[in-house]
Amino acid sequence: MNKRILALTQSLFLAAFFALPSLAAEDEALKKDLTAVIALQGLPCGEVVSVKTQAENDHAVLCKDGNKYRVYLNAAGRVVVEKRK
Amino acid sequence: MMSAPQICIIAAAIFGLNACAGRGHHAPSPPPATNASRTPQPDVTSPPSATSRPAPIPVPKPSVTTRAPQAVNKTAPPVAKTPAPIAQAPKPTAPPSAAVTLDLNGLKTQLKETKAIGLFTKIALKNQVDDLLDQFRKYYQGKSKTNMMELRQSYNLLLLKVLSLLQNKDDKLASAIVSSREAIWDLLSDPRKFANLQI
Repeated sequence: MNKRILALTQSLFLAAFFALPSLAAEDEALKKDLTAVIALQGLPCGEVVSVKTQAENDHAVLCKDGNKYRVYLNAAGRVVVEKRK
Repeated sequence: MMSAPQICIIAAAIFGLNACAGRGHHAPSPPPATNASRTPQPDVTSPPSATSRPAPIPVPKPSVTTRAPQAVNKTAPPVAKTPAPIAQAPKPTAPPSAAVTLDLNGLKTQLKETKAIGLFTKIALKNQVDDLLDQFRKYYQGKSKTNMMELRQSYNLLLLKVLSLLQNKDDKLASAIVSSREAIWDLLSDPRKFANLQI
């Protein structure tokens, strides 16, 4: 019984160990994506430093220069960048 | 009778006269060259130049381009220069028409599949492409106040955005877009082609 628990714990640890970098990579990719979107709209940002996902295709973004935006996909299928205070 | 210095002076005078006479003989040769340059490019040009200078005889035969430097060296540089641009003018026009192998659907799928651009960015780009197409549509319908220059600027700006996104990430696609830049503009700027355009 103890051996099973030990094996399960080890496998969970390994899964977490390998999953974390991929999540971090996805996070970086999302940041770059949102940086590009904001730049495409001609809005100041510099670089996205943090992203908080509020819903599917809806992100609250903090930029390196201190600007905050909400980037989301509206019902018409358009990417909208809203400035937040 | 005559002293050595006198003989030298006379000899020098004779050589000098001969030299002048020699120049006098060369002087008539330019007119044939000018006559030759007036005529298009026939072989009539080569004989006079051959008579004036023996060495370049074989040179003029191979090509027309070798004749131009000879004419430049002599009297008729402007006449010789004018044919060259005329001959070069058709060359630049020919390659673009040959290179207009635009695969719009191919570019579209490549843009969809490239990993250089994120999903949100792709959607945003698609939105901007649609906006530009709407501007063209309104322009051709006479509902827009924008002119072709402004449309061209918008088009250039959009392409610049796409290229900046692809830069150093998908060079192949970037170069494909750059090479088909004018071809795409041809489609957009021609009302008939634009009407048949299905994106």
